Amino acid sequence: MLALQLACNGIVTGCALGVVAISFSFIYATTKLFHVAHAGVYTLGGYLAWAMLRQGLPTPIAFLVSIACCTVLGALIQWQLYARLERRRATHLVVLIASLGALAVIQNIIAAVFTANILLFDLPWGSRVIHLGGDVRLTMTQLLTVAASLLAYAALMLFSHGTILGKQIRAVASNPFLAEITRLRPRRTHIYVMAIASALVCLPGILTPLDLGLQPYNGITPLLTATIAMIAGGVGSITGAFVLAVVITELQNLSLLVIPGEWSIGVTFFIFVIFMLFRPTGLFAAAR
Amino acid sequence: MDFWFSYVALASIYVLLGLSTNLLVGIAGIFSVSQAAVFGVGAYIVAFFLMNDILSFLPALAIAAAGCIALNVLVTLPALRVSGDYFVVTSFGIQLLATAIFTNWTAGTGGANGLPGIPPADLFGKALEDTSSMVMLCVGGMILGGLVFWLVMRAPFGRLLRAIREDELAVAATGKSVLRAKVSAAALAGAFAGTAGGLYATFLSFIDPSSFDLDSSILLLTMVVVGGARTLAGSVLGPFLLLALPQILTLIDIPTTIAAAMRQLIYGVLLIAFMLFRPQGLAGERL
Amino acid sequence: MRQTARFAIAAIALACSVVTASTSASADDTIRFGAILPLTGPGAVIGTEQMRGIQFATDKANAAGGVRGHKIEVVFEDNQAKPDQSILSFNKLADLQKMPLIFTAYSGPSLAMAPLATRKKVLLINAGAQADKLATASPYLVNTLPTIGDEVKAISRYLAGQGKKQAAILYENDAAGIAGRDDYVKYFPETGGTILAQEPTAFGQTDYRPALLKLADAKPQVMLVSITAGLLQMAQQYKQLGLKFTVAGTTFFSDPDTIADPSSEGFVHTQVRIDAPPALDAEFKKKYGVPMEFFVKQYYNAMQIVLTITDHLLAEGKPLTGENMHDELFKIGKFQGLIPLEFKTNTATVPLDINEMKGGKDVTIKQVSSE
Repeated sequence: MLALQLACNGIVTGCALGVVAISFSFIYATTKLFHVAHAGVYTLGGYLAWAMLRQGLPTPIAFLVSIACCTVLGALIQWQLYARLERRRATHLVVLIASLGALAVIQNIIAAVFTANILLFDLPWGSRVIHLGGDVRLTMTQLLTVAASLLAYAALMLFSHGTILGKQIRAVASNPFLAEITRLRPRRTHIYVMAIASALVCLPGILTPLDLGLQPYNGITPLLTATIAMIAGGVGSITGAFVLAVVITELQNLSLLVIPGEWSIGVTFFIFVIFMLFRPTGLFAAAR
Repeated sequence: MDFWFSYVALASIYVLLGLSTNLLVGIAGIFSVSQAAVFGVGAYIVAFFLMNDILSFLPALAIAAAGCIALNVLVTLPALRVSGDYFVVTSFGIQLLATAIFTNWTAGTGGANGLPGIPPADLFGKALEDTSSMVMLCVGGMILGGLVFWLVMRAPFGRLLRAIREDELAVAATGKSVLRAKVSAAALAGAFAGTAGGLYATFLSFIDPSSFDLDSSILLLTMVVVGGARTLAGSVLGPFLLLALPQILTLIDIPTTIAAAMRQLIYGVLLIAFMLFRPQGLAGERL
Repeated sequence: MRQTARFAIAAIALACSVVTASTSASADDTIRFGAILPLTGPGAVIGTEQMRGIQFATDKANAAGGVRGHKIEVVFEDNQAKPDQSILSFNKLADLQKMPLIFTAYSGPSLAMAPLATRKKVLLINAGAQADKLATASPYLVNTLPTIGDEVKAISRYLAGQGKKQAAILYENDAAGIAGRDDYVKYFPETGGTILAQEPTAFGQTDYRPALLKLADAKPQVMLVSITAGLLQMAQQYKQLGLKFTVAGTTFFSDPDTIADPSSEGFVHTQVRIDAPPALDAEFKKKYGVPMEFFVKQYYNAMQIVLTITDHLLAEGKPLTGENMHDELFKIGKFQGLIPLEFKTNTATVPLDINEMKGGKDVTIKQVSSE
């Protein structure tokens, strides 16, 4: 019984993490940038939604405004930071350090404006409990998280394979040089990619804190776990990233049955480090 | 004037760490956000030997340095196997793993409570009780570390490392072992970090996991970036400036509740600004 | 290269001069004490309360003409709740400014400074942290509130009296949380209880569901809690999961938001008693715009103890050294600040309440003492 409850919780957390993973994977596959500041965009989404609700905006509007702001922020980071660095032929290391800097800036602006305390959303419908047979109870927010995440996954798959822009993006991802000479304008495509991914990551960015509360420095662990999911799932594979995110969270949740909880994050990273030593190309490497 | 001493001693310790990070990130080109973890291992090893009265300071320090050499080689091995971006995640992972171990392995590290009351360092049977002699020790360590760094970078080995940075393929083509050079650089970096850890533990007389977390690793990276990569001057300048920064900030009147966030914010802005406008730092070479 | 070096020297010189400028002090007959508190960072909310408590008491004393004609000044240092920063601040206050007495808070920093306090004979006054080790860390570290262990003994006795003997522990995996966990493990069985399971959560991690589910699986009658942040989330998730066992804790439970939330109905906890007269409360509210919270009162109370010691020493014509202040504190022994408290050891004996959260209020159901 306990296992079932833990598993259900794992699916909720895993789906939210899955969206972080697919959005990060979308960026990484196209721009080859290790966009650490994505964790900052993720955190900012929740805070903006919170602030909008405080201003008295209706819930859907507040969420949409927040997503729009994050979209702009993502595009801005690509356009004003990464593109500039790329023009100067900066090494990956330099871009990464700049990205860490951007993350620090976003997180600490949030901390300065909203304080470092835990903030809670005041939405009574969110904490309404739904009984799902047996002893399994989930809140509205948790159910919404699962639905929205699956929807986001489906939308990204459709977009990536069914629309012209999506196909262009995949073309740029698979060969930037060829894309350049066929006038696909990779730089502009990169901005689109960052915008779309930032909008996507806003979903878990809002829904997870809706359930658990907001904290300014909480973005880095989900991002790293999502990155592990992306690598283990095979870079470039959206399905791989999503599925592995759910699998990893399930493992973390179910591992509680066997080991004390303080080690669960440690174990995740330990397995990953071992993994990187012996099979660095990922489980589903074919998609590359 | 003990307060002054504290600043100089801590800055000296951070210079050693700066050298360590510089060797890895600047010279060997191995991105690392886990140097604080290695630093921590050095500190815990020395604390263990001194608190249980097993060894005196210098042998304990030697063991810490040796342990950190082994550890640093071990944690940088993945970097030599996988491409740069993958190692970034691995490096973050190692840091988080280390924090989990420092926090949870209560028997060895005192857990989140930390280890209070670490005895002062001793040299040749004489305990360095007062702060001024402790500062001498730290500054001595820094000078020695700087000297080693300077000599290594002038030696053929240093030139080989530079060449690898310029063109790894060309070096490999001349029959030099790139792998061995990088592992040696990582080993030297480990020795620096371990020594710094030992000095830190005895100087503060207290260690806990919060001194060796991800933020500390990023602070180290910021020090190297601001000071400047790959030079001795850069590695000295960065720590001295950044450790003075909180003091400088107290002169500006900002609400106390947001001061810590502002300080971190400034670190972030520094990282971006230096990468955009001065990737060589104040006194270094281009990353 | 030479230019670089010159630049480096100039920059270091600049940094040094700034550091010096910010630490210079002037001398007159003002009496100065220090306080090393987390004024920035995650601990800043509590640190600011503590600072206000000290400052409020100091201002009131000075407005009344000071202590025997001497103005009192407290110099505040920010340690960000970090031990290493605390050591730096301690050295600055103790060595550079020769302060005989320093206020401290938070277990990690206090424990880190304790050996130095012994070595340099500086009296440390702690009115915030409760780790058990603080009781014996240094003869020069004095705690004006009981340790977690004292509170745990009280709550354990109460729970045993209620027939709740099967317990599970939820604790935060940091210094304060683990200290509480250790005490539960040590003292709860002494009253005839059994610990069935224990589960940690990371500090700042607010998803308590996995831990709560795992603990619930052990079928306890009561869950003993030792967390310092995220209490409200824990209460809400406890409610959402439909758990039925009693939830018990210590003074950490005195979080106004949690008490007001319906999900915390029936939570019981010990509470270090500290009351402010309504007039004092109103005066504080007028000055700072917020009510006098727990830590404001604690540090106001601690500052009153310090003022009493200072007054006695000045009357006897003894110099204000850390050693004299330490001896005088134990010579006086009993103090009447906001509450009566007595120093038999380094940790004061104070009154404790057992409270239950009912209808959005924290209701006292029993009064005990911290011995």
